[in-house]
Amino acid sequence: MALFNRGGQSGRERRAMQDHLRELDEMRRSNLSDLGQMTVEMAAQGRFDRQRLSEGAAEVVKIDREADLIARGLEEGLTLQELEDLARGVDGSGSSAE
Amino acid sequence: MRKGALKKKQRQLEELHLDRREALGELVLGMYVQNSWDDDLLARGSAEVAEVETELNELIAGKEPEGPSATEKDFPVTGEHRLPTMEQDYPATGEYTAEHTVPVTGEHTSEQPLPDSGEHDYPATGEYTAEHSLPESAEHTAEHEAAAPKLTRAEKKAAKKEKRERERRAKEEAKAAEAEPQTAEQKTVVTEPAKPSEPTGTPTPSAAAPTPSAAAPTPSATASTPSAPAPASTPATPEKPAAKPSETKKPIEVPPPPAPPEPEPTDPLDLLEKQITDSEAKAKTALEAAKASRQADAQTELAAITREVESGRGELDEALKRTAAAIAAAEEKAAQAEARLTRETASSREAAAEWVRGQAAEIEADAALAAEMSGKQEEPAQSGDPDPVLAARVTSLEAELAAEKAAKEEALAKAAARLQEIEQSAKLAEARVEAAEAAATEAQSKAAAAPASDGASEAEAREAAVNWLRGQISALRQEIAKSDETGKQEGGS
Repeated sequence: MALFNRGGQSGRERRAMQDHLRELDEMRRSNLSDLGQMTVEMAAQGRFDRQRLSEGAAEVVKIDREADLIARGLEEGLTLQELEDLARGVDGSGSSAE
Repeated sequence: MRKGALKKKQRQLEELHLDRREALGELVLGMYVQNSWDDDLLARGSAEVAEVETELNELIAGKEPEGPSATEKDFPVTGEHRLPTMEQDYPATGEYTAEHTVPVTGEHTSEQPLPDSGEHDYPATGEYTAEHSLPESAEHTAEHEAAAPKLTRAEKKAAKKEKRERERRAKEEAKAAEAEPQTAEQKTVVTEPAKPSEPTGTPTPSAAAPTPSAAAPTPSATASTPSAPAPASTPATPEKPAAKPSETKKPIEVPPPPAPPEPEPTDPLDLLEKQITDSEAKAKTALEAAKASRQADAQTELAAITREVESGRGELDEALKRTAAAIAAAEEKAAQAEARLTRETASSREAAAEWVRGQAAEIEADAALAAEMSGKQEEPAQSGDPDPVLAARVTSLEAELAAEKAAKEEALAKAAARLQEIEQSAKLAEARVEAAEAAATEAQSKAAAAPASDGASEAEAREAAVNWLRGQISALRQEIAKSDETGKQEGGS
């Protein structure tokens, strides 16, 4: 099995990461769709609430960031612990990525 | 539309709806990231989503949408869709091979026959290769045959003349050759009487020999070089005058045959040498001609100058004669004028002497008269008593003057009194006129106030008033006339 190891990342971790990446992708699409629907509703009302739009866009940005991190973990074969450390370091605020 | 198709279209619309919503969300996300919000763009994206949503709702409600579906319109507005491709531009056969005619694009391959470009005429650019014929220019290389130099008209004439000369000489030779056997025959036949030839002192040149023309004494500058058998040589070898008739039977001396023409040189150097020689000869001839013409011109000019000098001298002589005559006439006139002046001077001197004498006599007479008058005045001054007649006259005149003055003063006083009277009478007359006018107005008013009275009484009253007025006016006039007459009488006195 050592032949298929990518660094310290186990297969389970990898699968978990892949699953999580798919989830994030779905979540992103869903959020974007919601954001689009919200925009359509605002356009129907004749007024765009930028605060609400910014909040929805910020959620999507967060998802993008986490997805980038997971993708990097997958590419570099990082363990979940390493990935968490990286997220903390990257974040800099002490809060780990979800 | 079939149910399956409807379902398919619904599915497509749902997917499109989702895609557009996501795209709109992406748009919002991009604006958030860039922090650059564009409401117009958002509105447009929202409209597109709403359009698809509406169509989807209509389809779900069982209402078939009219017009092109949003799924079909989901193409960029670049116009790249549904455009014919380059493959469709060909005909249905698709047979485009190299054997077909080439389009007019100028793209020719080696398989297509090129137009016969090599056989075209060259443009008039002056670019000629060595393989082509050379243009008519002065540029000749050694490889090409040099064109014959263009001869001038004079050179052509000279060449023609030379040719004629050669022909003539050839004829002469031929004649001489014919004449030789004849003379031989004449020598043999002695019995035949010979015609006596006229003894001439001068040699007779050959008839065929050219005689120098007197009209052309100077050679032309463009004339060719004189030919070798010059005409002057012909008279140099004259036949001897025949002393006897038998001597005419002597054979005619034949001039030596001309040298055969030199073969035409083929070497370019020889050609050049020949050309140089020809040109030198031409130059020499031209020089001689120029000299001769200059000499002739000089002679002509000298003659003209001589004539001019002679004519000028004659004119000068005539002018001198005229001047001398004029001088003589002037001298004569001057002498006459001097004589006249002398005469006039003498006569004027005599007249002046007479006038002086007359003046002196008058002065003497005046002096005598003055002496006489001074003697008469001294006599009455010596008496001294006044004249009584004159004194009486003076006193009478003074009395008359005083009386006249007194009369005038009296008349003036009377006139002043009379003027005052006239003024008073005028004032009175004016008062009377006023009174008459007042009376007339009263009468008119009375007549107007009593219209009922009979017309006869009214007319009588009017006539009476008018008569009274006339009488008053005439009286006034008489008074004024009287006053004027008295005034005049007083003024005249």
